[in-house]
Amino acid sequence: MIPRRGRGRQRAARVLLVALVLVFAASACAPDEETTGGGTEGTVKLGFISPVTGFVAALGTDMRRGWEMYWQQNGGKAGDVTVQTVFEDDTGDPEVALTKARRLVEQEQVQLVAGPILANTAYAVAGYVAGKGLPTVQMTGADDLTQRKFDPLVLRVGYTSSQSNFPAGQWAYEQGHRSAVTICPDYAFGWESCGGFVSAFVDAGGKIEKQVWHPLGTQDFSTYVAQARQANPDVVFIGSAGGPDAILFYKAWTGFGLKDKIPLVGNCCFADQVFLREVGDEALDLQSFTYWSEGRDSAVVQNFVKAYEQQHKEIPSLYAAGAYMMAQVVAEALKKTGGKIEGADFINAARQVSLSDSLYGALTFDDTNNVVGPVYLTRVERRDDGTLWSVVEKTFPQVSQFWTKGKDAFLKHPVFSREYTGQ
Amino acid sequence: MSTARWAKVAALAAGIGGVVAAPYVLPSYVVSLLTLVFISALLAGSVNLLAGLAGLVSIGHAGIAAAAAYGVAWAAVHDLGLAAELGVAAAITFAVSVVYALTTMRTAGIVFLMITLALGITVFGLALKLSSITGGQNGLTGIRRPEVVSEWWKFYFFTAATYGLCLLGLAVVSRSPFGLMLRGIRESQTRMTSLGYSVTAVKFAAVVVSGAFAGCAGVLLAWNSEFMSPSAASFSRSALAVVMVIVGGTGTLLGPLVGAGIVVAAEYWLSSYVERWQTVLGVVLILVVLFAPRGIVGGLEGLARQFSHRP
Repeated sequence: MIPRRGRGRQRAARVLLVALVLVFAASACAPDEETTGGGTEGTVKLGFISPVTGFVAALGTDMRRGWEMYWQQNGGKAGDVTVQTVFEDDTGDPEVALTKARRLVEQEQVQLVAGPILANTAYAVAGYVAGKGLPTVQMTGADDLTQRKFDPLVLRVGYTSSQSNFPAGQWAYEQGHRSAVTICPDYAFGWESCGGFVSAFVDAGGKIEKQVWHPLGTQDFSTYVAQARQANPDVVFIGSAGGPDAILFYKAWTGFGLKDKIPLVGNCCFADQVFLREVGDEALDLQSFTYWSEGRDSAVVQNFVKAYEQQHKEIPSLYAAGAYMMAQVVAEALKKTGGKIEGADFINAARQVSLSDSLYGALTFDDTNNVVGPVYLTRVERRDDGTLWSVVEKTFPQVSQFWTKGKDAFLKHPVFSREYTGQ
Repeated sequence: MSTARWAKVAALAAGIGGVVAAPYVLPSYVVSLLTLVFISALLAGSVNLLAGLAGLVSIGHAGIAAAAAYGVAWAAVHDLGLAAELGVAAAITFAVSVVYALTTMRTAGIVFLMITLALGITVFGLALKLSSITGGQNGLTGIRRPEVVSEWWKFYFFTAATYGLCLLGLAVVSRSPFGLMLRGIRESQTRMTSLGYSVTAVKFAAVVVSGAFAGCAGVLLAWNSEFMSPSAASFSRSALAVVMVIVGGTGTLLGPLVGAGIVVAAEYWLSSYVERWQTVLGVVLILVVLFAPRGIVGGLEGLARQFSHRP
């Protein structure tokens, strides 16, 4: 931008202005519209978005593996229909996720989009895809996706963030605990996870001594653990998003010598396989409330774990199982519709899917497109070969996203937040 | 007119012709990528205004754009209408830019960089924490583009035209006495002071003006994705804007556009085929810094000058 004599510049500016007017004039006529949702006879084309790079790459990679495993086991077919998947990476960023969804819909002409995992990316993708009249299948936890922001084109093959923690609150009270401290990360997933526990615990008659919120990506948990110890509750609930936070929290917890002093209950994602591999024997006997238990005594689960371990040399995570479940429900729905994917009709068909046993257990859907299924109280044990895993201690069947309140009463409350956890 | 000038006018006409023809010949997805290029280029242009003229590199400018976008999003979610969307966005952009300006007007170099970094992270944190307004991590849905530009190709033209106007604006600022003052500050602050200029006041104004362009980018961003979440204010967004400026050419008018083209191509097109697209982008950045320290556009301009001066 070196200044030069003004004349030619002025002329260039004038040319540019004229050009801008031309641009506006040109925008009066539309280019040819492209059709969306292609696919040839006997074949359906699905899009799958997950973050395989970026800060949640581990989750996205597991998801892709789970999704691929289902189609691999079923010969890439749902009934007579051949299923083709186009994979995309969202890097954990909603702007990228949205653009990738555009590519899948507009360029690849997919008929349905599955994923991604993070709440914000899922909202961005679901909003766009549903706006195009195409169905999408999700596994993210964000409560409102199937509650206050319900969309007939969006099906969640999974549990809301609060759903699996309602039984935890009630169970804790039934165990004789009367006071509790909750520790959750300070963002939507944490608010909803703790909201599930707190609302059920308080409804049962318990008292919350303190709610501790820590920033996502905390390095030193000692101040938070100290706060929990100071309140001296009967039980502590941790609603973690997993990863380093869970591991670092537990190191501080055991470091303070609280392991055998205060009972600790985790959520779905606290004592996951990444956690168990890192923490080792210190994690034995940890109790969690979750919908995915890799040690559950069921042929469906054990066959999946075995096949997955053979291929990837590790026990499948919640994310691998979740994506496998998405694929299974899509396949079952395709069988019902004879391979047709037509907007809300497809989601309606998918909602009718009912599985007597699956990776999550006996499963149906409610009328706002969310899973009604079992929640398990799990305990960390050692498998015969020495690997740690979680086995089922107690099953809470048919837990709804609205807990025991019923849809209308539940939706009168605002969504769980730092300010409102159902107290 | 000299041949060089004719060549320039021809290039301009060809460029504009290409921009106008794009939606008629390219698939809609590619056009949506071009839309994104213009929006990114506008944000990079606002960074370039400070970096190129005054030598002040900001790695927090996505914060200003995101603040404006949240203004649009908030007004849209509350159904306040188009005028309110723009009004709220303008007010927030101004307020945030003033905060940026007040905290950085006495600094330069690395200190300026660090303060803008901190401010960007602050905006990100606020977006995450003020969940009753911003929707927190879940973001805000339910934003709709204005009726007249709701279709993808209309929005593309709208974005291109807005970018064109902003480009004119940037060129005018750069050529104005104000632009000269900024250059003076870049060369020597003490000399500017001794000449009687208030360096602090000039820097304040520069950050606010730059913020206005970033705000425009933010408005377009919210309308483009029809969704808003804190990651729009994230460090990586701010950093990518700086990368666009460096790759394209710091201080050149079209550098940010070229840089934005390369970054968007890597982030959205290359990433569909290469998992390690970030590595590729990193290599490109290193190569540019090594072999064309003035960026691609700066390097090309240098070459053109060399050739034209040859006897």
